[in-house]
Formats: sequence, C-alpha cells, structure tokens
Amino acid sequence: MIDYTKYKIKTENELRTLLKDASDFIIIWCKKCYKAFEKDEDLEYEKIQHLSDISERIKGYEAIDFLCTRYLTEKKLSSVINSGYKEIGVISCGLGIQIVAKLVEDKGIRVIALADTIPQSGNATSVIGYHGIALGSEKCAGCGQCYLEITGGLCPVVDCAKSLLNGPCGGAKNEKCEVNPEKACVWIEAFKRIKKQERNLDSSVQIRDNNKFTVEEKEKISIFSASKRIENFYGGVHPFENKKITENLRIEKFKQPQYIYVFISQHTGSPASVCIKESDRVKLGQKIGEASGLISSPIHSPVAGRVVSIEEKFHPSISKNCPAIIIENDFSDEKDSSVKGYSEWETFSEEELVEIVKDRGIVGLGGAMFPTHVKLRKGKNPIDTLVINGCECEPYLNADNRMMIEYPEEIVEGIKITRKILSVENVIIGIENNKAEAIEKIRRATEGYGWITLKELKTKYPQGAEKMLIKTVMGRQVPECGLPLDVGVVVLNTGTVFSIFQAIVKGIPLIKRVITVSGLFEKPGNFEVLVGTPLKDIIDYCGGEKVFDKENYQLRMGGPMMGIIQNEFDTAVIKGTTGYILLSKNPVEISEENICIKCGRCVDVCPMELYPLYYVYYGKNQIWDRCAEYKVKSCIECGCCDYICSSKISIVSLIKKAKKNAYYKT
Amino acid sequence: MLITKLKNQQELDRYFEKELFVFKCFGCKEVYFPEEEIGKLIIAKQSEVSGIAEVDYLCNDDFSKRYIEKNMNEIKKARGIVVFSCGVGVQVIAKLLEDKTVFPGCDTHYLNGFQGLTVLDCDCNQCGECYLNYTGGICPITSCSKSLLNGPCGGAKNKKCEVNPEMDCGWVLIYERLKKINKESILKDKNTLVRDFEKIIKGI
Amino acid sequence: MEKKSFSEKLKEGRFVITSEIGPPKGTNIEPHLKEADHIKEKVDAFNVTDLQSSVMRLGSLATCRLLVENGFEPIFQITCRDRNRLALQSDLLSASVLGIKNILCLTGDHTTLGDHPDAKPVFDLDAVSLLKVATDLMNGKDMKGNELDGKPEFFLGAVVSPGYDPVELQIIKMEKKIEAGARFFQTQAVYDLKIFEKFMQKIQKYNIPILGGIVLLKTAGMAKYMNEKVAGVSVPDKYIKMMADAKKEERPKVSIKIASELIKGMRGLCQGIHIMPLGWERYVPQVLEESGL
Repeated sequence: MIDYTKYKIKTENELRTLLKDASDFIIIWCKKCYKAFEKDEDLEYEKIQHLSDISERIKGYEAIDFLCTRYLTEKKLSSVINSGYKEIGVISCGLGIQIVAKLVEDKGIRVIALADTIPQSGNATSVIGYHGIALGSEKCAGCGQCYLEITGGLCPVVDCAKSLLNGPCGGAKNEKCEVNPEKACVWIEAFKRIKKQERNLDSSVQIRDNNKFTVEEKEKISIFSASKRIENFYGGVHPFENKKITENLRIEKFKQPQYIYVFISQHTGSPASVCIKESDRVKLGQKIGEASGLISSPIHSPVAGRVVSIEEKFHPSISKNCPAIIIENDFSDEKDSSVKGYSEWETFSEEELVEIVKDRGIVGLGGAMFPTHVKLRKGKNPIDTLVINGCECEPYLNADNRMMIEYPEEIVEGIKITRKILSVENVIIGIENNKAEAIEKIRRATEGYGWITLKELKTKYPQGAEKMLIKTVMGRQVPECGLPLDVGVVVLNTGTVFSIFQAIVKGIPLIKRVITVSGLFEKPGNFEVLVGTPLKDIIDYCGGEKVFDKENYQLRMGGPMMGIIQNEFDTAVIKGTTGYILLSKNPVEISEENICIKCGRCVDVCPMELYPLYYVYYGKNQIWDRCAEYKVKSCIECGCCDYICSSKISIVSLIKKAKKNAYYKT
Repeated sequence: MLITKLKNQQELDRYFEKELFVFKCFGCKEVYFPEEEIGKLIIAKQSEVSGIAEVDYLCNDDFSKRYIEKNMNEIKKARGIVVFSCGVGVQVIAKLLEDKTVFPGCDTHYLNGFQGLTVLDCDCNQCGECYLNYTGGICPITSCSKSLLNGPCGGAKNKKCEVNPEMDCGWVLIYERLKKINKESILKDKNTLVRDFEKIIKGI
Repeated sequence: MEKKSFSEKLKEGRFVITSEIGPPKGTNIEPHLKEADHIKEKVDAFNVTDLQSSVMRLGSLATCRLLVENGFEPIFQITCRDRNRLALQSDLLSASVLGIKNILCLTGDHTTLGDHPDAKPVFDLDAVSLLKVATDLMNGKDMKGNELDGKPEFFLGAVVSPGYDPVELQIIKMEKKIEAGARFFQTQAVYDLKIFEKFMQKIQKYNIPILGGIVLLKTAGMAKYMNEKVAGVSVPDKYIKMMADAKKEERPKVSIKIASELIKGMRGLCQGIHIMPLGWERYVPQVLEESGL
C-alpha cells in the first residue's frame, strides 16, 4: 500500500524566517489522510516544537481531522477563532490551509502555512496526479482525453516524464527514464504489453487539447456536487432507489397462514409477559401478552385459533432465539370482545386515548418499534409540533408510500387523533419528492386544514431519520444524544398514525401491517400481512427460493441500508418488519477485517457529523472509552458509513460493539 | 476530485465492434459519474456486451481481483474489456488483465479538491512549495488562470478573470484578503517568486 | 548628427512617442513596414507585439530585426505565454545579438483567448520574474547564476494599467517590476484623464517614465465593447456620444480630435505616449499634428 500523505513540514530555516515577526500563535494541524490507519496520532508538530526559539511563542495545538471538510472545520475552529490570537500556524496540505484562512479572514487573523504539499504526479507537464480512492500506484491526471487504449492501459500523461503521446523519446537508457533512472520508461512498458495482446502500436498522431473541458463546465459540476452534499442536512448519501419495482403495485392482502409465530418481544424495551397458556383457544385481537414495564407494549393474537406452544424461535431483529407464541389458525376470524371501535373519539380525554393506544399495542412501524404511548404521554417538555414522517428513504421500500396512496383519509384521521392527544396546534408532514402520487393524495386529504403543512423534501438518505427530518422541516437541531422531545417535537411514522386510527376508530390492535417484498423475488409486491406470518410463507408465495443459496444471495429484513441480514428462515414477521429485500451478494463483502486508509468518506457522509473511522480504529483495538470520546452514543446507525466505506469495513457492526462496551461520561 | 465523462460516440462505436466485457465503476459514490448515459449506452450495445460487472472502488486492486475472479468465464470469452471509470480504474484493470485489450469508456477531468473529501471552492495543485504565506491563504497557482506568483496580470475586468468572466480574479481576492487581515505589506515584499518545477518532477 | 536612441531621449526628458506594429498572420510583412514608414519621422520607437491576443502570427523577434534593418528603433515585446524559462532567456540573448535593445516584458494574454484555445499555456515565468531574469543576463549571469560568455545590454520596459480596479494592486506590482529592472512603462489605453491624473499622482514617487496609452476609437460600438470587455479601459460617455453622432466619413476626424485632446491632456502628466493605431496608422501623423507634437 502506498502512503499518499500530502504534506511535509517546511525546513527549519524556512520556519524561522516565516515566524520571524510572528507574536504568540497557535497551531492547527490536520491528522492526514490517505494512509493506512495504523497509529492514531502522527505528531507532525513535534518537528516544530523542538525549535526552542519558536516553541516559546506557540501557545497551543489543536488537531482537526480532515481540515478540508469546511462544514465540520468551521464548527471546530470557533474556539480557536475566539481565542484572541492574531496568528494561526497551519500544518496541512494546501486545502486545509486555504480553508482555515478563509474561515478566519473576517477576524483579521493571519494564517501561516507551516507545511508544503508534496507533489504527486512526478511529471512535468501535468502537475496533478490523482491516485484514486484506494492506495494503489496508478495515477490519473484528469487530462480529459483518455489515451489508455493506445498504451495498453499505462498512462503516458502521468507516467512519461514528458507526457509524450506518440511514442517514446530517445532518452531511455536500459529501458529506464532519462529523468529518473529508477523508473521504467512507460512507453517501453506499454510496447511490451501491447505485444502480449498481439496488437501493434496505434499509428495515429495524438495532440493534446488543453482546453477540452472548460472552466465553466467544471464550475457547474463542482457547484452541483457541493450543493448536493449539504442539501437538507450535512452528509447523507444518494443510493440507487430501486423503488420502481413495487411502486405501482397495490397493497395485496396476504393469505392467512396456518400457523402464526408471535414473538413476545415486538418492541424496544422489556418483552411482554405472556397471559395465555399452551392449548388455550384465542380469538382475533385477544391480548396474549401484557406490557411489563414503563417501556413495553402488549401483544395480541392476529387470528382466532389454538395456542400450540410457547417456544424459542429465531428472532429476526435480535438475531438469536427468543420465545414466541405459536398459534394454529382456525380461519374462523372470531373477534375478541375487546375489538371495539370508537368513532366518537373526540369526546374522549387525552389520557383515555393514550390508554387505548397503549392497550392496542401500538409501536413505531418505521422499524425502531418504540412503544408509541410512551411518546404520547405528557412529560416535562412542552410539545408544540407533531411531525409525520412520510420519507421512507430506504431504497426498495414502498410500504409507507402505498399506505399514503391508498389510505390518505385514514392517515389524516389518525393525525387528528394524535394531535388531540398531544394538544398541539401544528402538524408537519414530510414526504420525499420521489413519491409524487403520495404527495398528491395527502395534499387532497389535508385540503382545508390550515394547521397541517405538507413539505416535499429532496430525496436523500437518511432523510427519514428523526433528527434529520426535524432539521429539514423545522430547522431545529436535536441535541447530541437528545430526543425530539427536547426540541418540542414528536415524530411519528405514517404507518404508525394509521394504526392509531385502526386502534381507536376500528378497535383493531396492532396485529397486521404493510410490508414490501422486493429485489430479486420473482413476485415482488406490497402486502398486508399479519404480525407473526412465517417468513417461509412469504418466501414461498413471492418466489424467493434464491434465499437458500446463501453463497450468492442475501435476504434483508428492511431496506439495504439499515435492514438486518437474515440467515435463519424459520422466523416470522414482527411489528417492525418494513419489508424483505433479496439481493445478490457482492463478491467483495463488507467485513471488519479490512484496513482503514483514512480516505475520510465516512466523515463526509455521516449525518450526525461524527468521525466513524475512529470507531473502526478504536473498536478493533478495543479502546472503548476513546469511542465514547468520539461520541459513539450519538450514532443513529443509518449505515451511510458502511455504504460509502472505500475499504468495505463493517463500521456499523463495530459501532454496535462500541456502544455496548463504551463507558459513558455524564 | 475527478469527473468522468463518457467518450464521444464515434470512439465508443469503434470499441464496440467486438464482443466486450464491461466494468462499470460507480466508484467514489457521491461523486460525479455519468451513470445514466452509461446505462443507455450499454442497452444500445447489448448484443456486443458479453457481461457486466457493476463495482465500486475499482481502484482498489484487492477488490478488483475478486470481481475479475467472479466473472472470469465471461472475461475469457470476451475479445476485449471496456472500463467505465476514471483513469485509475482503467489502469488497474489493464494491469490485472495484461493480455486483454482494455478500452477506456470515459475521459477523466480534473476538478477542484484533489484530496479533499468533496468538491471545494479552493484547490491545491501539489506544487511542492506552499505560497500561501504570501497570499493570505488563497492559492495563486490555482486561483489565477496563469498561476502568476508576483501579482496580477492586467487582464482582469470588473475583478473577473480574463479567461472566464464568471471567475473571480485570484489576485484581487488575495489583495482583498490581505487588506482584511491588515497584511497588505506582504504584497510589497520585493522577493521575486519563481516556481521550482523540479519539486514536481522528482516528487520532493 | 547622430540620432538619439529611445532610451537617451527618455533620459533627457523629451516627450517621447511610441507606436506599434502587429506582425501579420503569414509572411507578408511588406505592407506593415510601409505603414510604419509613414510615421517613421514622428515616432521614436515601434513596439512589435508578440502573438498579440494569443493569435498565432509572424514572430516578434524576426520583425524587430527587420525594423532594425530598415532603420527603425524597435521595442521587442516578449510574453511568458509561449516559452519556458530556457526559451525566454535564449530569445533575450538572440535579441541582443540582433541589435535589439528595448525589451518590453509582459505576462501575455491567456492561450484560451486566441485562435488556438487548445494550446498548452506555459507561464513558467511571469512579467516580474522575466524582468529580473533580463536584469540578471545584463549582469552576465543566467537565472541559475551561471556565467555568460558575453553579456547583453537592454533597456527594459513593462506595462501598467491605470484604469485597473483595484489600482493599488497594479501599483504594488509596478513597484516590483521597477525593482526587477523596468526602466519605463507603457500603459493600457487611457480615455479618462482624471483617472490617469490620479494614477500619475500615486506613482510620482517612483520617478519613472510613463508613456500613456492611446488607442484611436473607430466607432461608438468599439468604445462600448471595450468598456464591457477590455480590462482597465473605460471610455467616458461623452466620447461615445461624439462617435455615435458622427457620420461614417466624419468618424476618423472625430476620433483624431478625441485622441489629440487626450494627448494634450497627458503632456503635462507623463513622459510620452504610446499610440496603438490598430490599423489606422495612416491617421497617426494627423493625430500628432493636432496634438502639437
């Protein structure tokens, strides 16, 4: 692996001359990029520190990672800017120095460049040599007219010292370059390679066009890319959406299964305590497990039938064996007496409504499964806004999208109930602009309600994460490790408000939900399934035999970004199942074993503005308290870093470990 | 950062006379890549395409080797390989498959921010000799079309560059920056600066 | 009586007049020499442009030599656009052996502005460093300090743009040019005497000869175009109106009137003028006559 470190400290003489007139100053240094991440601290400034005549004027050091990320650097610099020093020394490549200089210019602070950038091209005619993200030896000068076909894939622009395009000069001696006798003449190498391919050297005469790509075009693209990066919120990614597969398929009622597995853990918090026993007869909607703590939720039988057993089954999100109630369906659909709707809900008190929501087992349907009644209970913090999350930013999934298209009235009714419970005035619905039909339907259903605002949001992952959504639609910043409550907001998923409507108006507890089955399933679609429907029934019905070929395919519960890989198929739908996606396996799998090269892309995409590479480095070395210092607790596990990682490191799995092990200072 | 653009139709038509295996690197992700155009081209040339590998970070030869292994049968059959990626990716594939003719499907253009995480409005040209101390932290090599070191040319009109009237004259920016930080005196320094290109050639 | 050279005249404090010749695109140099011949008596030296506006043409050095042979005094314009430091030093030495003393060092327009926008721009040196290099050569050393076998003698000049905004920046660079060896300056076209006067006040301290630039206006359109596109040039509305109101056949007359008005104004301010006739060489004698030169 090649170390592409981009800068070196200026010579001692240069430094002395430079700092001759400087009064007291502080030093900011960039912790370098594009090198194997083997050691955390690379104390470049020590090379200055030992110069005693200078070091006495140095009043402090501040290390900042990836100084070139303007957005993060600006935040980190504020203390330095306000420290009152009139001079700042910067150890970085030219980019970092320029960024700092720009950020401090209004304070009248002078920036002193203490390092020189190391040239990378090794070539006289194109100064620039870009080395790709990985650390290989090949470089590209971005000349705008790729000649690699002519030369058998060796670049004459970068690797020939004269950038000759029409064959070698006469200067090579023993096949080595006249400029650098260590280096093979690239034209001789190219000639050999072409012979291997049984071709002749191209006879055309090549002339460089140095004005091929105009400054205007470049500016346009750079502005386009830069503005895309900070749209809505910092970071985030734009994965291929792949929503077309199921976007126009109506929600289909999935046939009732013969057997139902209801896991007793269907939510965040303590599992329900079972309140029936083996061979009991249960009715549809009958409570079969009680909430067992402050953060817990009851469970209900999705069918009428007989309890076969209570046994361990593989839990799809906890990924280990957990108790489940197995019920044999008698297909009679005999309803429990508790299944009773209240169309006159407006006459109920807020407390009564919350109690119903709790009793009917409503949890967040976006995937996190947080018991909804806990969110709706009045607490210390006043709530002023209800935000409805219709983003569904995960690729492939369309369950929320179809619900909004097919049940807009019901969703709006659910919103009205929730609004009454929370006693809030304002409601904002955020929907990503890739769901035109849903937006239209919701717009029509909300016409005439002045208190509700529909916001079309630019499509970007993870727009649907609570904190990102609140920032985008309201401009409020949820504090680190804080909750939406802290900024006076409650966020509920569209599916969740639909089930609140079902629970209160129709009396039906949360025993069914809509899921998307997509990817390589032969019969993809959106289905209304009972909670507890065995995965195997879905695989059978939707043509998913490929899931058993684990070498080449991969099944995920949820989307490709946050979805959980399913290796056991004797399991069932839970309340938080948003869908099943079948994907072909990439030949290069993500793993914890690969080495980080400090390319910084995870920092660039982290919507929580964290530095995920440190969770990799400290996680592998099991230095958990350093993970805590880098605020691992703030991570929302959106998977952007896994997605972008150029070394394919399984960052999120290391983060999960770090969260378990890190010691939190309060 | 690099921008890749599809090569012109004529050149591409010439490649696709024979059966080719396609490597499509959507690469550094979140970075400009003509995904759609390439998709259309591949559909149009379907009959000449013997197989496709969609990859990312093709520049990582460790990963590229595994993609090649997985597709070896189809690659063996193909009479050539076309790679849609930046120049680095093309070179990596050419190195790993020395006996195959490798066609670059894209031209690569250089864009601001060579090692920055994303596109920036400033650029570093890796000149080996940082001049930022003389210019208030604005690079004269990249912000001036002529890379002038000793002050502006006379070509700026309304403080815009003579080469591109959309672009601010780098030297006017430098002047304004230095005024802001009260260091105009730096400009009056009588040292005549001259580039040292040996640093670039030798990489020192 | 021996004819005095351009540099001697400047030293004596005479009000000097320079004009310019743009070599042709091709080899047909005769008509250009003839044009120059018309005004030979009135003009102290002729600038020869170096691929002006980045358009490929006959070379400046060869044309300068032809002028010498025909008894004119040339000013060799040399830009950094097309030559690296080796070629620049070599061409300066060549100029010297060809009897060319006056050198005007410029950075040069960018390649993309000319008729070969695909060319590779060089800009290895710039105007300041080129002046310094020329000074070094005069001292018998090349850029790297190597001893020269026979040293050239030059009278070095440079350019400055009084209408540039911010003008302070031009002045700072001008100071560097003086430091690097410039002994006279020619300016970008001047149309606004007030701006020019202010500029002259600011640079008085340098005590260096300035030749104010004069470009004959041909039409109102040209004036507007320059206002919009040409760096450091702003033609006042009153001149635009004068040109616009003139009938086609009267335009040269009006133009001459404007130019001579400007020249009269400059006489008290600077040490000479540099007329860039851009094809209207035939009117130069009249301009000078009306200006009282």
